[in-house]
Formats: sequence, C-alpha cells, structure tokens
Amino acid sequence: MTPRAGRVRKPGVAFFDFTCCEGCQLDALNLTEDQIMDLLRAVEIVEFREVKTGGCESYDISFVEGSIAREEDADRLRDIRERSKTVIALGACAHIGGVNCLRNLVPADAALQEVYGDAAGDYDILDTVLPIDAVIDVDYVIPGCPINPEEFARTVADLLLGKEPRLPRHPVCVECKMAGNLCVFEKGQTCVGPITRAGCKAICVTAGRHCWGCRGLVDDPNIDAQREILDDAGLTVEQILEEFRIYFSCGKEAL
Amino acid sequence: MRAYDILIIDGEPIVRESIREWLARAGYNVEAVGSVDDALEAASEHEIHVAVADHRPDNAGAIDMLCRVKSEHPKITTVLIASQPSHTVEEAAAQACEVDHVLRPFPPDRLERLIRETMRSIHAEREGPVGVGLAPEPLAEVVEPRETFVLSSVALKALFDSLAASNRVFAVVEREGKYSYQAVADFAELSLDFDTTLLPPTRFLFPPRETLLDLRLGASPAAEPVVSEEASVLFGVHPYDLRAIELLDEVFMGQQPDPNYIARRRNTILIGIECLRPSATAFAPSMDADVVESGFDLMLAPVNGDFAVIVGTERGSKILQGRDGIRAPTDAEIAALSAQREAASKRYRVQLSVSRARLPRLLEDYYDDPYWGDRSRTCLSCGSCVMVCPTCFCFDVADQVDLDLSTARRVRRWDGCMLSDFALVASGENFRATREDRFRHRMFRKGKYLVERYGIVGCVGCGRCTTACLPRIASPAEAWNEIAEIDRAERRRTRTLRGKADSYVPHMATLKRVAPLTEREKVFELRLPRDQEVGHQPGQFVMVSVPGIGEAPISIASSPTRRGSIELAIRDTGNVTHAMHGLAPGAVLGVRGPFGNGFPLEALEWRDLILIAGGIGLFPLRSLIQYVADRRDRFGDVTILYGARSPEERVFTVDLAEWSRREDLTLRQTVDQGSEAWGGHVGVITTLIPSIVIQPAKTMAVVVGPPVMYRFVIGELKKKGLADDQIAVSLERHMKCGTGKCGHCQINGIYACQDGPVFTLEELNVLQEAVA
Amino acid sequence: MSSTNIHVHHVTRIEGHADIDVILSDGRIEKVLWSVTESPRLFEVMLRGRDYGDVAHVASRICGICSIAHSLASIRATEKAFGIEVSRQSEKLRSLLFHAEVLESHILHAYFLAAPDFLGVDSAVSLASSDEDALRRAMRLKRLAYVLAEELAGRKTHPISCVVGGFAKLPDPRRLEAVLTALRDSLADLERTVDLFASLEMPDFARETEYIALTDPHEYAFLSNTVASSDTGSSPIEAFVEEIEEFCVPHSTAKYARHRRPSYMVGALSRFNLSHDRLRTRAKDAAERLGLVAPCHNPHANTSAQVVECMHAAEESISILEELLGAPLSSPRVEVVPRAGRGIGVVEAPRGLLIHDYTYEASGAIASANCIIPTNQNHGNIQADMEALLPSLVDPSEDEIRHRLEVLVRAYDPCVSCSTHALRVRVGRTEARGARP
Repeated sequence: MTPRAGRVRKPGVAFFDFTCCEGCQLDALNLTEDQIMDLLRAVEIVEFREVKTGGCESYDISFVEGSIAREEDADRLRDIRERSKTVIALGACAHIGGVNCLRNLVPADAALQEVYGDAAGDYDILDTVLPIDAVIDVDYVIPGCPINPEEFARTVADLLLGKEPRLPRHPVCVECKMAGNLCVFEKGQTCVGPITRAGCKAICVTAGRHCWGCRGLVDDPNIDAQREILDDAGLTVEQILEEFRIYFSCGKEAL
Repeated sequence: MRAYDILIIDGEPIVRESIREWLARAGYNVEAVGSVDDALEAASEHEIHVAVADHRPDNAGAIDMLCRVKSEHPKITTVLIASQPSHTVEEAAAQACEVDHVLRPFPPDRLERLIRETMRSIHAEREGPVGVGLAPEPLAEVVEPRETFVLSSVALKALFDSLAASNRVFAVVEREGKYSYQAVADFAELSLDFDTTLLPPTRFLFPPRETLLDLRLGASPAAEPVVSEEASVLFGVHPYDLRAIELLDEVFMGQQPDPNYIARRRNTILIGIECLRPSATAFAPSMDADVVESGFDLMLAPVNGDFAVIVGTERGSKILQGRDGIRAPTDAEIAALSAQREAASKRYRVQLSVSRARLPRLLEDYYDDPYWGDRSRTCLSCGSCVMVCPTCFCFDVADQVDLDLSTARRVRRWDGCMLSDFALVASGENFRATREDRFRHRMFRKGKYLVERYGIVGCVGCGRCTTACLPRIASPAEAWNEIAEIDRAERRRTRTLRGKADSYVPHMATLKRVAPLTEREKVFELRLPRDQEVGHQPGQFVMVSVPGIGEAPISIASSPTRRGSIELAIRDTGNVTHAMHGLAPGAVLGVRGPFGNGFPLEALEWRDLILIAGGIGLFPLRSLIQYVADRRDRFGDVTILYGARSPEERVFTVDLAEWSRREDLTLRQTVDQGSEAWGGHVGVITTLIPSIVIQPAKTMAVVVGPPVMYRFVIGELKKKGLADDQIAVSLERHMKCGTGKCGHCQINGIYACQDGPVFTLEELNVLQEAVA
Repeated sequence: MSSTNIHVHHVTRIEGHADIDVILSDGRIEKVLWSVTESPRLFEVMLRGRDYGDVAHVASRICGICSIAHSLASIRATEKAFGIEVSRQSEKLRSLLFHAEVLESHILHAYFLAAPDFLGVDSAVSLASSDEDALRRAMRLKRLAYVLAEELAGRKTHPISCVVGGFAKLPDPRRLEAVLTALRDSLADLERTVDLFASLEMPDFARETEYIALTDPHEYAFLSNTVASSDTGSSPIEAFVEEIEEFCVPHSTAKYARHRRPSYMVGALSRFNLSHDRLRTRAKDAAERLGLVAPCHNPHANTSAQVVECMHAAEESISILEELLGAPLSSPRVEVVPRAGRGIGVVEAPRGLLIHDYTYEASGAIASANCIIPTNQNHGNIQADMEALLPSLVDPSEDEIRHRLEVLVRAYDPCVSCSTHALRVRVGRTEARGARP
C-alpha cells in the first residue's frame, strides 16, 4: 500500500477489548490534535465500541486489548481473527496477560468464591487468564501497561507504508541510561528493567519509580543473572518471585 | 595494470597454493609467487594492497622478503604469519623493518579479518568522503606552549556568567550525592569538585538520539540534512573525558567525517577541570587519562582557594582576554598544583596490572580462553556498560514515519555491541549470538581493536561501566587484569606446588628471614627453590617439617598476592615448632601443601567485611587481610577487630599500625588487660562489636581465634542481624597427613584438613562435634 | 399475547460491556433489565499479598480512564492504615493531579460519549467532517489534561510518581509554568464547550433519589473524608461504609450497593446537588447558562454537571498552580513505615464516590482489600430510572425505546470495567430491594 495512491479505500481499523482496564485504547488516542487528524485521514475507524456506535463485517487492522478470561471471550476473539487481515495485541493484558496474571496465582473456583461468595456459581471463568496469543495467531504487538502512544502511532504508520513494525530487542536499561537516570539499584531499590523489553523510554524510572516489567521479557533474558542481582540486593526468595509475578507469570513467556 | 588484493610470497608451493586458494574462496584477487624477485616484479606490474609471507624454518627469508617489498612499495600493507615463538619473531620483524602486522596462524579467520579491514580502509581512503562537504581540519588553533594563569573564584564566576550570557552552558550538578551534566544558568548551582558523572559529557557531542535527515516520501522523495549549529559550553570536563573526546574526534572527524558531530564539536567550548577526587572504580592513570595536555580550550584546577587556568587553544585564550582578576601563578602555587596532581593520582584504587602496550597481544593470545564464557555468565546484555561509556560511539539509524505518511525523519540513536541484536542481520543470522561473544568483543574493542585502528586506547578508565554493571563484570581493568593473571599463572604453572600430586615428599625450602613477634612467637619467611610459588589461597596451610623432628600443620600468614615467598607465624609450643624457633636464616625446611579450603573468597568478594581475630588467630587471618588490602576494589567496607590478652601479646604490630593508617580499612583493637603504656580500648573482643555499624544484607564476617572466643563473638554478630551463612570461622584441629586420610582432624564425617579449616556456621550446624 | 424482546448487546460509547433487555408484552413494558456482562477480574484476589509499594500500581489497573482516582484512593487507604500524613504540598499536588483527571474524563464523556446522541452522529470522530472545530477543541482540552498529569505523575493513564507518603519525584517548575499558561488559555475553549452543551436539548425526565458525595466545608470536594447524603447529612467515611450494603444480582457480573433507599446516585450531579455553592466563579456561571439548578433530579443533567466541573477543574488547577509556583518545592515524600491495620481511602472519582478499603499485615503486605466503585453504586439507580422512564414514553417505537434507554445509561457515564472489579461480598446474594432491616 503506498501513500497518496489516490482515492483507494482507506484501510478499515477496529478496536476490541476483553478483560482489561481499557486504558490502552484511550491512550492510543493520546496523540496531538494533528496526529489524530492525520490518523483519521489515513484510516477508517470502522469499529470502536467505546467511542462509536455501529460495526463492520471485516477489518484490515484489528487492535485487540485485554486478556481472555472466559470461554465466550475466546470464541469472540476467534471470530475477530477470522474477520481480520492483521491482528495486533494492544497493551500488556493482550500481550502477556498484564496484571491479570496475578489472578492465576489462585485457583479460579477459590477466587470466585472469595469475591462473589455464595453467588460464585453464577460465574464461569477459565482456569487461568490468557494472553490473546494463547487463543489466536497474533501478527504484531504493541506492548506496555499502558501502551506508549508514540509507539502506537509509529506502528500504524509503518503498517500503512508496508513496513514491518519492529519492537526494540534490548532491555529498558538502554533507554534508562539514555535518559540520564540514576540506576534504581544504586538507590537501594530493585527493578526488572534489565530483562524487560525497552520502548517505554524508561518512563517509570524517569518518574522516580522502578520498572515492573509491563512490556514483557526481552528475547533472550538472563533470568539467572537477574535472580542473582536481586539476591545480591538482599531480596528473599519470596521477594524475588514477587518481582517476576506481576507481569512475567502468564502466557508463553511465563517464568 | 591488474589490481590484486593480496600477494602471497612463499618458497613452498603447497603452502603458497593453499593460502591462495583459501583467500580466493573468500572472494579476494590473489597472486602467489615463490621468491622475493617475483614479488617485486609483481608489485611493480600490478597494484597490490597486501603482501603476506609465512615465517617458517623452510621459508626463513620471510621477514627480509616483506621488508624489501615494503621498502620499495611503502603503500603495501605487509603481514607476517608467524608460528611461535611469536615474541621473538615480532621483535625481529620490528627491528628489521616495518612489517605492519604479525599474526599467529590460528585461528585462520584472523588473517581474513585483517585483510578485510585493510581493504576497507584502502577503499575509504581512495574514495574519500562521499557527499560530505566538510573535510577534516583542525578544530581550534592549539596554543604552544601552554600558559598558566590564576583566577580568583570571583573572576571564575564572572567568566562563567559571560559565557552563559551567550551560550547554553552544561555543567555538573549534584543531586542526591550523584553528579550529572545539566543546563546551568547560575554559577552557584554547579559543582567543580565531583568524582564522576552518571553519563559522560560526550553526549553533548554525540547525543543519544538525533535527527540526521528530514525526509519527504511519495512520488518525489527528498532528504534535507538536519545539523544543529547551536553553540554550547561544557564547563567542567575531567581529563579522562577529554581523552575520550580525542578518540571521538578521530572517529568522526578523520576519514568519512560526520557533519553532525563536526558541527557540534566546532560549536562547543571545552573547559576542563582536573580530577582530584577519583571515583572508587576509576583507573584513569593506568590508561594515561588522569592528566591531559591538550583537547581543551581551558583547563581549570583549584589551587589554594583560587583557580589555576591553563590555556589550550586560541579560542581559550580569547575567552580570557581582557578579563579582570587574572594573574600569573606564584612559584608556591605551581608547586601546589603539581603536588595535588601527584596526590590525586595516588587516590585511584584500581590499577591495570599489565602495561597498556601489552594489551593487544595479550588479548589476542587469550581469545579462546574459557575466561570469557565464565565471566559473562551473569551478563544481562542490558547495555548499561556501553551506554555510560565515553568512548562508545556505535549507533543505529532508522526512519520514523509521521502519521501523515508523507514526511519522516531519519534518526540516529545510540546502539551497543553488548546488546543481543547488535550483530543480527536481516537474514536472521547473528554474528555475535552469545553473551560470551559480545562480552569478549567489548573487551577486545576497548583494549585492542580501537588501539589498532585509531592508535588511541579505547578505554579511558573512568570506571562508569564498573558502577553501572549490576552483575559487576563490566570493568575492563578487572577483565584485563584477570587475563594477565591467567597469563602469569600459565607461565608459572610449572613453577608452583599447587596442582602437583600429593605425596609425602616435602619440597625443600630455604629460611630467608626469622623475626620475633612476641616472647613466644616468631615469623618465618620461606622461599622455594627456582622461584616456585606455593600457589595457596588465604586461609590454607602447609605441612612444615624439620627432618628428624617431625611435621606440623602451619597456617600461611601471608597473602598469595605477595609473591616470591611465604610467611609462617609460629608459636613455640611443640617439638617441631620448638625446633624451628631454634633455626637461623639459611636453614632448609620441608614444605608440603597447600592444604585445606581457605577462606571463601567468592562469598567475600563485593561484600562489606568484618574480620575478627583473637590472639594468634591473626596468623591465618593476616593472609586474608593482606589479600583484601591488595585487591581492595573487590571488597566493600572492611572492618578489622583484633583482641589480645595484653598489649605485649599482640602479634604483627607493624601490620596493625599500617592497617590503622590506611583510610580504606577500619581497625579496632582491644586488650583484656591494659597497661600503663596502653592508651587503647580495654575489654574482651566482644565489646568491640556492638558499636560497629553494619548493613546485614551485604556483610560477611570471618572469625579466627581461640575456641572460647567463638561462641560469644558469634552471638554478638547474630545480634547484628548476620545469618549463619554470613559468618565463617577457621577451626584448629590436630592434623597429620594433610590429605584427608589419617583421621586426626576428622569432625563427624568430614576432614578439617581437606573440607576445612574454614566453615560457615551453616555448614557447622550439622556437625555436632564442631561447636567451639 | 404477543411478546417482544429488545436486546441491546454491548451498549456502545460506555466504558466496558453491558446489555439492556426489555420485555414488551402486548405493547406494554413487562420488564427492563440493565446487566453488566464484562468478564469478572477479581482484583481482591490480585491485590492480596502484594507489598504496599506495588498496591497502587495494581489497583490503578482497575480502570484506565479513572486510574488517578484509583491510585489516590489506594494510596490514601494505605496511608490511613499506616497512620501517615503527607505534606500540604503533596496534598496540593495530588489535588492538582486529580483535577487533571476530572477534566480529561469529563471532556471524554461529554464530547465523545454523550454529545453524539444529541448531534445525530454515530461518534465524535464523525465531527471531523461536520464540526472539526468542536472535535479539535475536545482533543486540545483532553491533551492539556494529559500534559498536566504527565508533568505531575509521569503519565495520565496509570500515574507513576504518586506514592504512599507523597511523590517519588517532584515536577519541574519551569514546565509547570508552561502548563499554567496553557490552562489559562484553555478557559476560552471551556467557555465554548459550555455554549455547545447549553445548545443541546436534554431529555425531560426527573426522578428524585438519594444523592451521595464527598463534601468539604471550604471547597468543592474531590479529596475529603466526609460523605454527605441528601437524605441523611454528613458522616465520616468510616461510619458510612458500615451503612452501605453491597450485593450481587444474578444477571450481572457487577455488584450493586444501597444506602437508605433501594438505590442512590453518585457522580457529578450528586456533587453538584450537594456542593454547588462551593464552585468557582466561572463554573457557577456555566451552571446558570446550562440551566442547571440544585437540586436537580434529572439524571440526564449529569453530563451538564460534568461540563460545569470541567470549568471548575481548570479554575481550581490555575489557582493551585499559582500557589505552588509562588515558592520553591520542597522534599517530595515523608517516611513510610508499614504497620498492621485497616485503612479506608476515599475520593470523588469523575464518576462518583470511590472507596478502597484495605487491611495490612505488619510486613506491609496486603491481607485483604475491598473496593466500592462508583458505577456499582449507580447500577440500582440506573435500573430504577429505566423502570420509571419507560412508562412515561407515549407509544414508543422499539428504536425509540432502545435510543432513550441508551441515552439514559450514557448520562451516568458508567464505567463497567471498573464495576466488575467489585470485590468482597459482605452480604449474601439477594434479589430483594427493600430497605435495610
């Protein structure tokens, strides 16, 4: 597809959400006025339940936000896959399960019982929350909790130009150093930035905190070394497990 | 005239043809000749880039042949392939003429690599800069000789203000005890007394991200260069960082000049400041980067409350022109400057144990050593080491398309060879796929490749990578030192006792020195014949024998870092020791060993240490204290507690005095009973412990002393929050064989002579007999 | 007897998934049912065992649109449990951050979710061709709120810098100056927003109910510890949580809540009804132009109340910024020492009263958590309004029924993803809607 190719049909873009906070689809539109106007000129938003009434039969690009927690959601997701040329996982919940991973630490029955009490029987959920690639084939990923709007814009622009969108392969440390931050470990705290995929510009460390790992693991994480540095920092085994729990405990990358 | 990439000169047809075939398969045009006359003829008829000769007994004239080719055709790069011993060949080649490179025959890809690099630089030279309007030229007129003036701090502030009035000024600012370069408008905000900054100032010349081109897409594409001409001042740059800028100048302003770098460099005024407070991980003097003579416009140094300023360039001179409060330095100030520079150079804790010049050769010899794999096991491939490095300049370039799909920017951003995808190509092949490959590459690049390519060392010893590396493996000095140590050990291998089969036959050692420590104890210095080393670890012991009297286990009181001899401290208590007390220098003694496990160095490294000795427990512990003092950069805070019955019964008082003088060790002493002359602490050793401040998570304690001492000392240490695996003790047991057989030293199921004498409490918890 | 079912599957332009079912019998409305179908998320389970330093990080993920409200409710709960008081400066910064979310959330709802119903378009995106000015204005205001939040907390969605004890990092005063200027400039956009919404015709419907919101004697409250009810007056939050009852209904994955009556309302309209006299000048003026007079019993006016609050949020933010920038910022954080205990953190999220109720172990790990979400508190009221609205329609077509119910639901600005994070059940499942014993 080439830009300015006359009045060809604009690619149809759809947004879908499953178990999530819906922050990523809102952040996808956290662009400058001009960027949004450019986007609306370049694509046709054909389905976006949150901001739009009406739907469509098939989609060129489907952005899917959220994890899969129920069989009916898995069915709906498969249907979306059928009708989409390209499926992109939008955000950590779709990509790696997001914070929903934490629910997997407790058996589903017990979790429902704890929350809904006697009414637990009315709810039917999967044993574990799944990232979407556990249910369907996913073409691309825009990671993060929430996503980085600039990365979203770049991915869309790349796809429209027929260019393969690419994620950074290096860990957060690279961008953290570029930002001139003092290492979290030097402040006496801990961080999973050394094994987490970059692309966020180390936003959490820059804002005074540490990396939780929301963008998932790098391709070849040295987990043993990460364990050792956490151990060196004085963490107990339980604390080290906790560091890996929030974002690294479900889906294909599960530690 | 035909152009050959490579000319092979070798009298032996089989060798000649096999090299030719191999290089031809690699894609080069190769000519092979059998004599120097044919070589000279080929060189005058064809254009030849590289001449190769193999140095072997049957091709003895190789050096001469290359020399003749070189003398008549100086542009040809000459390469001598030399099997060992390469050092002598290399020297011969260097003496005879200028053979450009001497290579070992293995691994064979090295020749290919060298030829590839040579060809590349020849192409670059021939084609010259493409599409770049800027030719390399000097930046600012260098001033000779350097003149020194003195400015009052008021005058320095005025100088800053005048620079800040018309330029962006970047200077060092302190935040939570760490320093970084920030845009500074107020002189009061900046610091000139800092150890080192988080990121080097090179980022103002070569920023983390920059746009190189504005692109227009579509039917009529276009590219506009984006070059910033904004003027700035770097106010307060340490010499090692100036040295790094020198390398960047060579890289970006030499062949294929980089317009973005050049524009920034030209528009940046560099004001240096001498580094008087080196960071704990720095080793700039080893890299010749603690003091620089050029590379700055002005260089500052504090002197007696004022500032000395050295003028480096015309531009610097102009900045000073017509300013108030400038005067010539006094003789006293000149003396003070050199004295403080001298003192500063002594404050570096890390040193290279091998000469810089030897590094390239040394590294080459150990390319395939398992060290690289072991050392890089914990590498996170996080890139921190290269991101904070002032001499790293690798980058990646990518187009960033705007959502209007008609404009884009070509953006350059820092990249690094330690990142897993750095050498990944589109086909999916990764040329440095393992941590080991990448780790070794970085150490080679810093210590060898850059030196060979640019003639400037690729590391300036700033120590930033050491600090930034979480698994603490990034220090080039450490890696190089360890390779040098492997090399020394390799050469010593046949000359130490360690590694030789255990036997009952003692090695005969000569007593070099005997000195009294107290009334009952003496120290004995023993030397093995033919400069052999015992090859021990701190905490190990040897079996010492006096023929006819017997054999006794004795701890080694000196560190293996002190070479040439070992020291044994001995109390006159049994037959053997009594006999020894009677010996004089020159006497010959039997030595077997070393035996035992020694102190757990792996567990002690990088931790804060509390080393506790009671009485003659200091004998074995001294070997560890010496070791720690000699490898000080590998340990955190070190506190030594020593207790004796009375001031007179203290041993190694000379050492005690030295340790107490050292700023990087804390020594506290106590005696059970004081005397009139004793001005120090009185009380049992446990009374020293409550007052020391420790961080339990990163501390290890080692305790050596009489059995009665252990229980109480351990109790106090536990109160401080230390766990059982953080406390190590050395146990004394009766020993006869030293080889785990005779049974005397057995504690439950284990033998102290083999599995001990050092144990952590955790290990001892299962041994009922061990409780001291 | 003919019977027709109208099923609105996944109501659009609201946060999360919910359905409406209407059963018509002989043209008469037999039954109407508002049900939440979003997948349950079980945050109570997810929060248990987390260290206090991670609690707000996880709790924030309950909702992407009001994540600042969740973060601050969470942090305030933890601080109460640990007995921590933050500095006045931290309180001011939090208030500023909070107003950024109020502004952003209300602009999103008013322009993108609610307005299309009255402008006859399927989404605000369609305004790109009909009224690009309005679309750009909405995006500008939304973006400004994002920028303000970014300066204070690193990010609007799932804020980073606000922590137990204060802030992990202070904002850069030079950049806050720039935001202040932009906020002053935005007042013109907000005035035009008031004009736009004043020109829209709200459906005529009223049903009196119980209105509940936080109040403060000195200001229009978003962060306070006192809850007021239009029925029963003020009480401290700790007393209030004992008075409300959460319960499950079989058709819905969200939980419901009730106070004195079978249902009550929270959100902008409740706040306006209870605190309108403490609005800032331009906001009061906006209310007048929008025809909003307290007490207002028309739930559709909730959107108008949000527009009024947008103006108030901008004015309040300007005032706080002017005060903060008058003196240098000091240390961002007070010391935090965990201890065992319970803490209830409460805020007025854009959609209404939000309560996080935590119990901590001495180690600083959370032992149990309960979150009471604004939309859960409104579910009962939405159902009651639907039941009251339908009979008032004269001979409605199916489309009209569908449309009127959707418009009503959207006026509440329900946040369904939030409401399925409903946590601990205190009372067993019941369908009874009577008053509490």
